[in-house]
Amino acid sequence: MAQQQKRPAAVNNPPRPLGKGPRGPVLVHEKPKDVLGTLKRILSYMGRSKYIFFILLAVMLAITVLNLAAPSLQQKAIDTISGVDYKNLVKYLIILGLVYVLTSVITYFQGWFSAKLSQTTVKIMRTDLFRKIVTLPIRYIDTHNHGDLMSRMTNDVENISNCISQSIGSLFSGVLTIIGSLVIMLYYSPVLTLISVSTIILTVLFTSVMTKFMRKYFTRQQILLGKLDGHIEEMVVGYKTVVSYSKEKDAIDKFNKMSDSLRKTGVKAQICGGSMGPLMNIVSNVGFVLIAGFGGYFALKKIISIGTIQAFILYSKQFSRPINEIANQYAQIQTAVAGGERIFAVMDEESEKDDNSNDREFILDNVSGNISFKNINFSYVQDKPVLKGFNLEIKSGQKIAIVGATGSGKTTVVNLLTRFYDIDSGEIEIDGVNIKDISKNKLRETIGIVLQDTVLFSDTIRSNIAYAKPQAELSEIESAAKTANADRFIKRLPDGYETVLSESGSNLSQGQRQLLAIARAVLADPKILILDEATSSVDTRTEMNIQSAMVALMKNRTSLIIAHRLSTIIDADKIIVIDDGRVVEQGNHEELLEQKGCYYNLYQNQFAGIAT
Amino acid sequence: MKLAKYLKPYWLFTLLTPLSMVGEVLVDLSQPRLMAKIVDEGVVGGNMELIIRTGIMMLLLICFGGMCGVGSAAFSGMASQGFARDLRNDTFKRVMGLSFEQTDKFTTGSLVTRLTNDITQVQQFVDFALRMLVRDSILFIGGIIMMLSLDINFGLVLVCALPVEMVLIMILIKKANPIYSIVQKKLDKVNSVVQENVSGARVVKAFVREEHESERFDRANVDLMQTNLKVQKIMSVLNPLLMIVMNLSVIAIILIGGFQVEAGEMKVGQIMAALTYITQILMGIMMISMMFQSISRAHASEKRICEVLYTEPVIKSGSYVSDNNQLGTVSFRNVSFKYPGTNGEPVIKNLSVDIKSGENFAILGATGSGKSSLINLISRFYDADEGEVLVDGVNVKDYDIDCLRKKIGMVLQKSELFSGTVYENIAWGDKDASKADIEKAAKIAQADEFVSLMPAGYDGYIAEKGASLSGGQKQRLSIARSILKKPEILIFDDSTSALDLGTESRLQRALEENLKDITVIKIAQRIASVMNCDRIAVLEHGSLCAIGTHEELLRTSEVYRDIYNSQMKSSGEGDN
Repeated sequence: MAQQQKRPAAVNNPPRPLGKGPRGPVLVHEKPKDVLGTLKRILSYMGRSKYIFFILLAVMLAITVLNLAAPSLQQKAIDTISGVDYKNLVKYLIILGLVYVLTSVITYFQGWFSAKLSQTTVKIMRTDLFRKIVTLPIRYIDTHNHGDLMSRMTNDVENISNCISQSIGSLFSGVLTIIGSLVIMLYYSPVLTLISVSTIILTVLFTSVMTKFMRKYFTRQQILLGKLDGHIEEMVVGYKTVVSYSKEKDAIDKFNKMSDSLRKTGVKAQICGGSMGPLMNIVSNVGFVLIAGFGGYFALKKIISIGTIQAFILYSKQFSRPINEIANQYAQIQTAVAGGERIFAVMDEESEKDDNSNDREFILDNVSGNISFKNINFSYVQDKPVLKGFNLEIKSGQKIAIVGATGSGKTTVVNLLTRFYDIDSGEIEIDGVNIKDISKNKLRETIGIVLQDTVLFSDTIRSNIAYAKPQAELSEIESAAKTANADRFIKRLPDGYETVLSESGSNLSQGQRQLLAIARAVLADPKILILDEATSSVDTRTEMNIQSAMVALMKNRTSLIIAHRLSTIIDADKIIVIDDGRVVEQGNHEELLEQKGCYYNLYQNQFAGIAT
Repeated sequence: MKLAKYLKPYWLFTLLTPLSMVGEVLVDLSQPRLMAKIVDEGVVGGNMELIIRTGIMMLLLICFGGMCGVGSAAFSGMASQGFARDLRNDTFKRVMGLSFEQTDKFTTGSLVTRLTNDITQVQQFVDFALRMLVRDSILFIGGIIMMLSLDINFGLVLVCALPVEMVLIMILIKKANPIYSIVQKKLDKVNSVVQENVSGARVVKAFVREEHESERFDRANVDLMQTNLKVQKIMSVLNPLLMIVMNLSVIAIILIGGFQVEAGEMKVGQIMAALTYITQILMGIMMISMMFQSISRAHASEKRICEVLYTEPVIKSGSYVSDNNQLGTVSFRNVSFKYPGTNGEPVIKNLSVDIKSGENFAILGATGSGKSSLINLISRFYDADEGEVLVDGVNVKDYDIDCLRKKIGMVLQKSELFSGTVYENIAWGDKDASKADIEKAAKIAQADEFVSLMPAGYDGYIAEKGASLSGGQKQRLSIARSILKKPEILIFDDSTSALDLGTESRLQRALEENLKDITVIKIAQRIASVMNCDRIAVLEHGSLCAIGTHEELLRTSEVYRDIYNSQMKSSGEGDN
């Protein structure tokens, strides 16, 4: 998270409270810091499905034993051939067949149970992570890259799931197999065991060196690919700009350069990766020849049987295979642990809490809506105060417009009233009760909010409007929609109120979405209403529609409007002009014009045409 | 394989890869035989010298095989990576030459995946085909030949086992594939719930709906898990079934081999060799069946790349290069325009207007009235369907396209910045500009005040398309960039919307003072931004509905008055 704050060019950039959080570069390839702790936590998640976990362990144990038994039986069968003992041959073959069938059946269960274990575990993790995400404070959401948060939910969880279903199983059975084969090999011939173990140690050393190289190049390749990706995206998203400045050639040149260094790294990575197999092959075949040579020698001396040689070759393969596998899994386990770390980092974030130690009673149904801000100081980033000794009294039922230049702290007032952020010093009171003494849920139920960026959910229109009041009757919903001027367009949709919105409501126009958000607030029927006027992306006709819906919504409530347009300002009971974190002027439109101060200037700027 | 021609420059490597692979595989194949020889003739026959001789030969062969293997990896790397680079470069070049209707059609996300994922996919396939396909086919066919040459009776086992194995793989893959795509959909659902909750956190909290959202997530989550398990259930059958076929074949071979040995027609070592071969053959078939999957994936990628690569740009450059007649006039003559690929009403209908040299011209209208579409025709982002667009009296279609665009400075609605310093971003307008020029442009654009407050000033780095800047700051930087370009015609496409009105009016004044002679075309929705322009054109539904000064329009145009009233007067009663 430290990287998030170290972004360059970040001055003048308090986290924009109502916009999306700034995006930092997504980091490729992390190495886990606390491997053991993270593994333990992942294991404890697996432990929640205890039965499956233990059944799986039992199943893997069985498979390992069977896998170890098979070569020995095979060897006995072959020995009977060289010993011309054909009756026993059939007997051994039948046993061998049974062992094989049993192995297959159990392998099926292993596959099934490990899938089940990984899916259940990951499901619980996702659930936990999501519950954490919904309770994270807004400050966290505002200051962290959303894409990054999403990728924890998807990629990182996916990595853990893969790791559980593949790596953990092969790790466990791998270790067992190694031990088992070693014991059996020792039983057959300690000398041959020594030979084969030494070649295997060679293999392991070799693999670790090779993977180090490989990982270096693959990481580099990944980074280059990421850069290339960024360049393409930038050029395509900004294509209009690129074209209007005739910069296509520069873009292509830069691309070609990046593309070529990607090729160079790619070749190296591929040579490393591709050489691994053949080189390992050499080493393992050297082992094979050594075993054959020495085995033949011992067989000549009648120390061991021919079947033993065959068994030995199989066992030494059994022995080296899991070692290779574990080496291969190593990278996967590492990414899973890194992923786990990233997931747990979010889970360990502090949730929003209520700190109402003195727990004063706050009667929700009886709020009249008097709000007072007393001497508020607040900053998003330390030492950069946004509000400085901010004072404001709002009486029940008043319509207040807040105006001021961009960055003057208008939206901050909203953030503090809803306790999306907590003030540094000072007090905010609703009906004389400090909002710190009210539980956040109760406080927020009292306040309705319509934001500039409309938030809709991929659900039916009906449940989007009924968002605050899920048990609402259809008639209530319709009347709310009517108040919000939304009823007409909803009825024209093919499925009416049951129309399912696509993701974020993208199948509606900007204006329609805003009307739905207003209908939602109407139905919620809050005592205090906050409107962050949404106008810049809506054309004037639609705006008039929205405007009149807002007027209907504001009736009989204390309303705070972050104002962008004159129309709402003139109608307000009181206009608050904020500059540099303070209230500099307040009064109604005419009063403020007469003062010829800040408001007058703002007004002149915007409406110079009328003034002359 | 349309893209095979990209391998041509690397034909030598392309050829050497399978050749050295053949070497490696032949060595692999010879080993079980040599092993059999060691056992049968050396061990059983008591010939130690033969064991050592064969052993050394085997080692030599193995080293040769290993070298071949490394060689084929290297050759294949050079061939496939070179192939990928050339393909990538050509595709990107094509993307940079496309017209807007074409890039719009492809969408950014898909272009990025085509250029990265899809090309990597195809590159990996080339590598895979050159090495693995060759390897597995030879192992497979070679294994069969070697095994049959050991004893023709082993063929019986193959005849039984091979078809069973193939059918099993095919059935299961067919069953699992459709479920995989359902899994993807369920995953998307989970993602979209998370996405909505992250970006809509304020609303969720404001309405105290955390519990509801968690339930919604749980539903999606459980759904995903169950679908995942469904596909896993199928796939966990595959492995054991394949194992059984393989292991039963092993038993059959021992049995057949046993009878052959009894009849004196075979030696024990040959059975061992046959066991190795049968494993090899059956593994080979598994690999080959997986290859079919990767072929179909690579094919899909190839198709997607070719779609881009073989798209002809719609807009072609003309040849007219203007000398320095800096007029800056723009004329539309009976222009009609409809976005390519859309049906219904044209966006611009038979529109004619002349914009004079040095004029301060504004275009006003509701969303969808055709304002942006109209100015897109000037820079030839799109071409008019009917009528002519003239710049300095010459049809834009006749211009050399770079020459045309050099005349025009365009500040877009969505300001696009690029990763680089503030200097570099402004210098986009003119690479040769001095620092003083850049700072001057920034001053006119009202950007200097905030840039100089940044800790690194003009050397400050803009990351992630300017995510650390506010909308207004980004707009001012892109205005500075256009000013630096010293165009004849400067177009603001609703590009002052994020500026507060004070800043906007200062910008207005600075432009008037510093850039008196150039033609300015300004598109806006805020009436306050355009009131002072020399002339205002009001667009409605793609037609020019009124034109004149602010005062004239207030008198004559009802639409203009409507807009004016909606923005300047209280609107409570303006309900419609």
